[in-house]
Amino acid sequence: MMSGIPDVVCCVATAPAWLAVPPNTVVVAAGVAAVGVAAGVIGSLAVLRKRALAGDAAAHAALAGVALAFLATGRRDLPVLLGGGLLAALAALGVLVLLRRYTRTRDDAATAIVLSVSFGCGIALVAGLTSRGVPDAAGLEHFLLGHTAALTVADAALLATVSAAAVVVAVVGLKEATLVAFDPGFAAASGWPVAAIDYCLVGLVAAMVIVGLPAAGAVLVTALVVIPPVAARQWTDRVPTMLLLAGLIGLAAAVFGVAASALVPRLATGPLVVLAAATLLAVSLLAAPERGLLPRAWRRRSARRGAA
Amino acid sequence: MSAPLLEFHDVTVAYGRRPVLWNIDLTIDHACLFGIIGPNGAGKSTLLKAALGLVPTTGGTVTFFGRPLADGRRRVGYVPQRETVDWDFPVTVGDVVLMGTYARLGWFRRPGRGERRLARECLARVGLEDVADRQIGRLSGGQQQRVFLARALAQEADVYLLDEPLAGVDARSQETIFEVLAALRDSGRLVVVVHHDLRTAAAWFDRVALIDRRLVATGPTATVLTPENLERTYAGQIELLDELGRAVAARRRTP
Amino acid sequence: MFFGDSKTGAAMGHALSRALVLAVLATVVVVPTTSQETAAWGDEPPRPVLATTTIVADLVRQVGGDRVVVDCLMGPGVDPHSYRATPRDADRLAAARLVVASGLHLEGKLASLLARLARRVPTVAVADALPRERLLPVADGLFDPHVWFDARLWSEGVPAVVAALVKLDPAGRAAYEARGAEYTRRLEALDGRLRERLASIPRQRRVLVTAHDAFRYFGRAYDVEVVGVQGTSTESEAGLADINRLVDLLVDRGIPAVFVETSVSDRNVAALREGARARGREVALGGRLYSDSLGGPGSGAETLESVLEANVETMVAALAGGR
Repeated sequence: MMSGIPDVVCCVATAPAWLAVPPNTVVVAAGVAAVGVAAGVIGSLAVLRKRALAGDAAAHAALAGVALAFLATGRRDLPVLLGGGLLAALAALGVLVLLRRYTRTRDDAATAIVLSVSFGCGIALVAGLTSRGVPDAAGLEHFLLGHTAALTVADAALLATVSAAAVVVAVVGLKEATLVAFDPGFAAASGWPVAAIDYCLVGLVAAMVIVGLPAAGAVLVTALVVIPPVAARQWTDRVPTMLLLAGLIGLAAAVFGVAASALVPRLATGPLVVLAAATLLAVSLLAAPERGLLPRAWRRRSARRGAA
Repeated sequence: MSAPLLEFHDVTVAYGRRPVLWNIDLTIDHACLFGIIGPNGAGKSTLLKAALGLVPTTGGTVTFFGRPLADGRRRVGYVPQRETVDWDFPVTVGDVVLMGTYARLGWFRRPGRGERRLARECLARVGLEDVADRQIGRLSGGQQQRVFLARALAQEADVYLLDEPLAGVDARSQETIFEVLAALRDSGRLVVVVHHDLRTAAAWFDRVALIDRRLVATGPTATVLTPENLERTYAGQIELLDELGRAVAARRRTP
Repeated sequence: MFFGDSKTGAAMGHALSRALVLAVLATVVVVPTTSQETAAWGDEPPRPVLATTTIVADLVRQVGGDRVVVDCLMGPGVDPHSYRATPRDADRLAAARLVVASGLHLEGKLASLLARLARRVPTVAVADALPRERLLPVADGLFDPHVWFDARLWSEGVPAVVAALVKLDPAGRAAYEARGAEYTRRLEALDGRLRERLASIPRQRRVLVTAHDAFRYFGRAYDVEVVGVQGTSTESEAGLADINRLVDLLVDRGIPAVFVETSVSDRNVAALREGARARGREVALGGRLYSDSLGGPGSGAETLESVLEANVETMVAALAGGR
């Protein structure tokens, strides 16, 4: 048994060679798959807590953070830029939570305000940088759309690490997150620090969104945080199963999207991943046994026939 | 002399400049079935929420067993109003009842066999053991209320606060719920219920408090639910008072 | 709302809002009109000319000499494909005596602004003046705009600039025509030198792999095979199939080096090198090429001629070496 393990590792490591899969495809698939799984899991918690749009706000705020990080350090390494993006996203989400607690602003209005103001700051900063011809400022704007096809091994490793950590946190804190999402009044009355748990959840969403930026870009990563959970919800009535399914759907979307982009030239990878996720959502909405539109229509018809 | 189970001392709650509760002084020192009665908008739910720290008070203190809530949250169980929950949430009846054990488990520990057994027992006490695996949206109004009662039972508390547990509930479920509450009182626990229906209030509660933003009267049910007190509380709702007067008189006649 | 609920408070709040609106309107109307005062000063030499990219700015300087002072909208290192005009840019363009653009949609996001202004401000787009049959089509009636990399082709744009300068400053006709002819000669000589230099790279190694398709004219003129990861515009995102195809090319043809560009993100090129490395082929980073922009002051690459020579030296050093 023990001697068999090195052989297995060797086999898997050289799999790309004997499967004839190009190495870039493997790297991109691994990176995007990691994001897909984690976004599905974390996104499920956010959707249950009715904070699905927090991901959108985080993604748009991140642009300002990326520009500021570049301004402050002059460096373009991914961890530096993403660090700046994360800080900006956390600040924006903090403002969002505060707006909801201490003013009468409603959820959707508060999200729209935070999203557009921080995004505006980000665009202004990036435009200012590029128009001044700051060297190396080229490409900061592409955080909006991402360059999935150009993921390097280092990028994929970062994505995999953060995704794994986020999933672990979600699983460990699942009971607390479910409780607060379902009945925050009861949770508060039982002594749970609901505000702190909310901040943690929103922070996790921000981390996932930031890390997903190079993979899918700001506009598309929100889709990965929202679509797999909604699709998963159609198939199950239990929270742990929903998280698992959402992770799997995110993974499937990543694999299909990357595969399609590797086969057809001149097609950007990020959007294809989102299209794959949307297709899986459409299938779920139509065909899921309990909640799907088609099975429900069929049940109605057979009930009517039975009554007649 | 032991501390009162629940004491409101000069509690005032205001939203902006509008006072909702005003100088409430209320002491409950024995285990009983205690009703909080009053018209709509009288601040009854707010009184419970203030006790639980869910709304901020602009004055006064609330103590449980003579201590602030933070010292003894485990001993206080809460059943909120039914509408505050998303019925489409992917949890089953059993999942919700199990949530009553979470506070005892603490951070990150998962419910084990002991907790699951307790949850099953609580479900049985409210008569819902058959639907343990059903998603909560697929229950009737009465069943939904009993789920939250079972969750509170799973908290194994000494004081229970329930906010309109019988609103919109069918008669049979009402009976079941009342029996569970009475059993709790008989086992030495304080059960405080915000209640909307004066007729059943006269029949069920040992002691009541009449609230209309201020405390109008409190004490044993028969003593408190007099026509004068009711008129002071429900000023203007005349048909109600007539009916109530009859109900209260009927209660007085039966020993 | 600041003044409470009383009626007088409401009236005061009302009046304040109206005063605010009037003040804003006044600012918007007054400020632009003051900029028209500056239009009068360009009547004696040196004449001000506004160019869009550093490359056309260089062209205008070469032809105009001391008789013009050239201001440039985009600085060195700026990507003209994605450059968006700021309101200040729009003011500068509107107030200019002559605007010189590169053309053929290189300044993709300025196109509508330039078209609108062309009715009031004299505008010349250098590449638009070139004969269509000498241009490389991209798609749908559009042409590749990177014409300056073919020195001889770029010199055919000189007459258009000369004509525009003469119109702006008729007194300088002789000077402009002389300088124009001189510059054309220099470009043709440069063209020959570049071709000779590049011939020193063996044919099968003469492959230029860069971040985007900026060098097609270069490749056609100097017999170099060029491959870009992104398309002709940096606005399109690279696809995975394209990256894989390029990695195959690098490995199968044994290409020794790839190049990054000064105004384009280098992430795609990094991914190519990693893919090749995973297949056992070490591809060097040949260096940084100037593509859509000249170098800044002090870089040694402030003119098109120096940029072309610098680029070719970088390529020769990376590709010709006996490996």
